[in-house]
Amino acid sequence: MAVREAREQVILWVDLSDGSVRREALPEEWTRMYLGARCVHARLLFDHVGPQTDPLGPDNVLFLGTGPMDGLPVGMGRMSVACKSPRRTVAEGSFGGFFGPEMRRAGVDYLAIRGQADHPVYLYIEDGRVEIRDARHLWGLKTHETDAALRRELGAEVQLRYIGPAGENLVHASPIFGNLNQSGGRAGCGEVMGSKRLKAIAVRGTGGLRVADYDAFLEAYKAFRERLDLATSRDPWTPVWSTYGAPVLARLFADMGNLMTRNAQEMGWPEDKAARISCEPYLERYVTKAKACFGCPWPACQKLYEIPSGRWQGLKGGNYWAGQPVVFGSLLDNDDLDLVLVLSALCNQYGLDIFHVGYTLAWAMECVERGILTRADTDGLDLRFGCPDKEGLVDLVRKIALREGFGALLALGCAEAAKVVGKGSERYCLAVKGQELEGIAQRNMYMVALGIAVSEVGPDHTRWYPPYPCNPNLVSREELAALGVDLDLRLAFQGRNPQEKGKLLRWFTISRGVVESLPGCVFLVRDTLGLDMRPWWRLFTAATGLEMDYEEFLLPGERVVNLERAFIVREGFRREDDHPPLRMQLEDVPGFGYPRLAPEVFEPMLDEYYQANGWSLRTSVPRRATLERLGLKDVADALAAAGVEVEP
Amino acid sequence: MKEVELRYVAHITDITGCLKERYRTDAATLRDLVEELDARYGGFREAFVDPATGQLRWNAMIYYRGRGEVPAAVVDLDRPLGDGAAVTFW
Repeated sequence: MAVREAREQVILWVDLSDGSVRREALPEEWTRMYLGARCVHARLLFDHVGPQTDPLGPDNVLFLGTGPMDGLPVGMGRMSVACKSPRRTVAEGSFGGFFGPEMRRAGVDYLAIRGQADHPVYLYIEDGRVEIRDARHLWGLKTHETDAALRRELGAEVQLRYIGPAGENLVHASPIFGNLNQSGGRAGCGEVMGSKRLKAIAVRGTGGLRVADYDAFLEAYKAFRERLDLATSRDPWTPVWSTYGAPVLARLFADMGNLMTRNAQEMGWPEDKAARISCEPYLERYVTKAKACFGCPWPACQKLYEIPSGRWQGLKGGNYWAGQPVVFGSLLDNDDLDLVLVLSALCNQYGLDIFHVGYTLAWAMECVERGILTRADTDGLDLRFGCPDKEGLVDLVRKIALREGFGALLALGCAEAAKVVGKGSERYCLAVKGQELEGIAQRNMYMVALGIAVSEVGPDHTRWYPPYPCNPNLVSREELAALGVDLDLRLAFQGRNPQEKGKLLRWFTISRGVVESLPGCVFLVRDTLGLDMRPWWRLFTAATGLEMDYEEFLLPGERVVNLERAFIVREGFRREDDHPPLRMQLEDVPGFGYPRLAPEVFEPMLDEYYQANGWSLRTSVPRRATLERLGLKDVADALAAAGVEVEP
Repeated sequence: MKEVELRYVAHITDITGCLKERYRTDAATLRDLVEELDARYGGFREAFVDPATGQLRWNAMIYYRGRGEVPAAVVDLDRPLGDGAAVTFW
């Protein structure tokens, strides 16, 4: 396989219904307009998937794509996966590892998969050649079993993406998995892959990538690395996350009153409980091996683990992040780290989304506490907070993935399950646009509340950053202004001051949109890399040889946000859908003095966000002037043609 | 004499050897407290104080929760230390 220029972008259209494969080069203009990965996917989704598309039907398109920086040291193996969610939102997410770089080495940058196979299949791609192969022998296997079977079949060096039984059974929010424990596309990309009867994608490539200006790239890379090095990074998360990893947040959240406890009825959890499930005991007793993604400069933010003793001795898992201590810890009032890690490992093995499972369990526990659900409903399981029946809880994960018994209800996700149960249980469902929350609290961090409310994929902290940098003194107002960023970082640090939160969120969604379109790893957006995008710009222009000024480089960040918004408004979402869960709107936080997100606090933030984006304050639809400024006149025309009111 | 709760997170536990402790001190400010802890656990000042500016290092963080207060991230080492406070170093 030949060496390609890094800027080349090729898409393969694969139709699983008729078995056809079509190769198409993306116009170079697209690289300038959309960079790659997430922004290219946003454009493709808008163009090829519409309101008439059944999310679980053959016309939905599942995109897996890389970008010009993937396969280079900066890309860190990140790639994007996207489709229309079964909840009609955009379903887009990303994962790292080695699959993306391997695709590029195979001469393929994007896969667009449509149609439905008449029996389970997997895709095998080797140096640009695509085969649709029988996967009946893989159907029903868990993720780690699928991984092992395909490596036996194709060789250990093949790179893989696959779904577990949850995706096969169209369980709510199932993501796509790879490298055993990495998942992406939690808004239902695994469900859509399952609906296509596509069990896995395997890729092998032997080609290479060439940057346009090696010397300039090397200089830009050195400057980039300085912001990530333990000795020079100006970011408190750098030493913590590059060594101990994200579960450190279990204790820090508890200290700051950020730890959602007992289905977020409370925000304070005893420090001793938080310490029992935090990073320190995890590293000391469970971690067996550290892993890094392609070209990552950090020692290893991913860690494999094994339960060392007890009932689940020998069970293996990986990637204990910031979310698991919340969804399987404080949210369920469970401080048994064994149980947290077992639930997490089983979600990965069955191909389930941990946030779906954790929040839906917490919703069910609160329903039990309030008498809305009884043991007659739960197959006899004692489903109280504190997790008294650990064995039963562990088995419930399997039942969710296989849609058995009470698990079939929880497999719907908490929003749909609450509709089935009724009796006021909707009040206790912590979801937005049908998608469960994640690990970061809202009532004391207003920008987070706004961010999860407006996200076009449902709650997803990867669409923005919490206020960065972590020290408001790091960048002066004057320096920010010189970068074209109109922000007051001191206000960013005032978590419960609604002022400027809309503008803050807008900038963070745009800058993150740029990074995810290169793509680069958002976990490594440290120091000033979320504010000063020049290091990314220098890397991109050196790698691709495309001449563009800094302002032009930032525009794809705006385009991706507007394209994703255009997609969901065409599906019928409007301002009223951009709100946090009822609990956050109606209930004060006991103990920490955090009041509810009342309308007089939340609505002005929403106005500011829409205003800053150039969207209608009334409907949330992007204004025609905004879309035309971004070179997206055709999107405005398409919205109008679809009957969406587009204000001038 | 004040009594405060000190919490140490992640790599800071490599310095202190413990996750938390109740601590009695006359330190007036967080800066004084850091100096006391440096005498007790070598390396504490280096971890938290930038030798060039005397301010909190860019790659370190302190959370402070005074009695009856909402917890907050600290950027000023000269912040007064109150009795009953919980201070988290990371």
